[in-house]
Amino acid sequence: MAVTSGYLGSEKAHTEHHEEEHDPRESLMYDPLPRGVMNDMVMESMHTTSWKFWVVLGVLAFLVATCFFYAWGYMIAEGLGVAGVNRPAYWGVFLVNTVFWIGISHAGTFISAILRVFKAEFRRPFTRAAELMTTFGLIQAGASIFMHLGRVWLAYWMFPIPNARQLWPNFHSPLMWDLLAITTYVLGSTMYLFLPLIPDLAMARDRSTGWRKTFYRILALGFRGTEGEWRHLTTAMNIFAFAIIPVMFSVHTIVSWDFAMAMRPGWSSTVFGPYFVLGALHSGMGAVAIVLVIMRATMKHMDYFIRKEHFDALGKLMMIVSFAYAYFFFNDYIVQWYGGDKWTDTLLHWLEEGPMAWMFYQMVAFNIVIPFLTLWNKRIRTTPWLLALIGGLINVGMYWERYIIVPVTLSINRMPFTWRLYQPNIEIFLTIGTFSMFLLFYMIASRLIPLIPVWEVQEGQMVHSLRKVGKAQVPTVSEFE
Amino acid sequence: MSDTTLLALFEDIDPAAEAIDKLHEMGIGDARINVISGIPFTHKMLGRPHPWTNVSRIALGGAAAGFVVGIFLNFGTPLLYNVSVGGQYITPIPPGLIIVFEMTMLFALLSTFLGVFLDSFFPNYRPMEYVPEISDGKIGVFFKVPQDEQQKFSDALNQLGAESVQPTEARQL
Repeated sequence: MAVTSGYLGSEKAHTEHHEEEHDPRESLMYDPLPRGVMNDMVMESMHTTSWKFWVVLGVLAFLVATCFFYAWGYMIAEGLGVAGVNRPAYWGVFLVNTVFWIGISHAGTFISAILRVFKAEFRRPFTRAAELMTTFGLIQAGASIFMHLGRVWLAYWMFPIPNARQLWPNFHSPLMWDLLAITTYVLGSTMYLFLPLIPDLAMARDRSTGWRKTFYRILALGFRGTEGEWRHLTTAMNIFAFAIIPVMFSVHTIVSWDFAMAMRPGWSSTVFGPYFVLGALHSGMGAVAIVLVIMRATMKHMDYFIRKEHFDALGKLMMIVSFAYAYFFFNDYIVQWYGGDKWTDTLLHWLEEGPMAWMFYQMVAFNIVIPFLTLWNKRIRTTPWLLALIGGLINVGMYWERYIIVPVTLSINRMPFTWRLYQPNIEIFLTIGTFSMFLLFYMIASRLIPLIPVWEVQEGQMVHSLRKVGKAQVPTVSEFE
Repeated sequence: MSDTTLLALFEDIDPAAEAIDKLHEMGIGDARINVISGIPFTHKMLGRPHPWTNVSRIALGGAAAGFVVGIFLNFGTPLLYNVSVGGQYITPIPPGLIIVFEMTMLFALLSTFLGVFLDSFFPNYRPMEYVPEISDGKIGVFFKVPQDEQQKFSDALNQLGAESVQPTEARQL
């Protein structure tokens, strides 16, 4: 029997298929510009501000002054009674915010460290934008913990300093582990942000005058780019890339243990650790998508550095993380659902049919259903505003998830006479304050430090080339290290 | 005759590497050559000796110190002030591992960071030999030559494609 081989489909479809073939030069790595030009583009993006920038900055500064500092000061003066936390939900929005911001902070390390270790080249232009989210997110997480403390001036009791009573902190407490893990992560991620920034600060120093010159001169530490300096820097960055990954995993796992170590319905779960880590990455990826879209839309020349390929890659990551999140969510849910514990059943029924059911269903829809239904489509992934919208919905969903885990779960316990739905009070203002401060810091940073790691982009462009294989130009990557 | 420092600027890595070879041929040892660049070229690309770094050793030392601190905090401090609660262990191992891990990593990261500062002599705000073109992607080869042979070396490197070969002085960055 004769077999005819040929293109499956019409001639027209065949032609269209060829026309749609990806041109490697659409990729940043295969579309190099001279380093000086890229430097100028990044410097111009930092120096260009419109009146809209200052208006938004002013509004955010006002919100930080009122909703963060004034509201917190008021709460310190009046006491925690002005907050909505009360029996049985002693942990309210402050801890929701803490978990949320720690989650956001995971994206920076993931993109910068894990993708660096695995040499995922698309990471190069936006590692710093993601790392900044880590640092600024952790600042908000730390602030939220201090808000939750109430008597914030006694925070030093947590540190291992022998006090007047010679009493050391209890290192068996998950809250103590939290303090050490978050401290390690804050310091580690800030140093990891700073190290690769040094060459770009030196670049900015070479192109600045006035106060900016002094600012960059101090921060660049005298970096010139000698062989020794590069060697020390790249060695340190490699150590950081490997070492910060287990720290990142430990931080959110320990945050999950704040809950999972307690024998409470809804909390006592052995998969809470990885479930929290995946949730953190889920919200972090969504936040990176939002930041990149805003950067590209509002900062000059960013369309050269941040391209469709980056949104595409980020969208794929978001989809994979969404699958993994769904797996852990279901794993956590089904075991509790099957377990038959009376109070856990009550909690689950309450989530499914109670007054907070809308939040539960939105959480499932935003975190699992919408990413599943949309992110498989390349056109959606490469449409920046759509990806940002999905990232925003994921973050709403992840915020609800933390809200359900903290105050909603606390509202249902083994003592029905104490059941009471938590109603946030001053927490709402303080939440607005932390979000405003995060955005304010980010906006200020976008005009002070190069958000694009130019030297890493140039290094990437140098190792990428097009090789002719037959009649095709094939993208090729070599390794410097 | 005193030495003078020349700076040869190159657009690309290939002529810069050839220039270093040429300097070797002309009797300039590696100790009298220094290369500065806007991206990290490896020593093999430049044909230079492997630059020494203590960063990983300092990081290991820091990790060891952090391990000891973690052991002390978790297994030492409860013995300094012994609080017995409900018959629980004073120094249990599983939670201790968490503290030891965090302290080990914290000290390792801090010492890695510190290692860069120590090895690179950061911060260094004294005047140094440098040209801003380096951060524009140019490659600078500094080398020390006897003053009366300056022209000979300039000509040799210009022939290899140097954009400029000029005496350089320390300047405020």
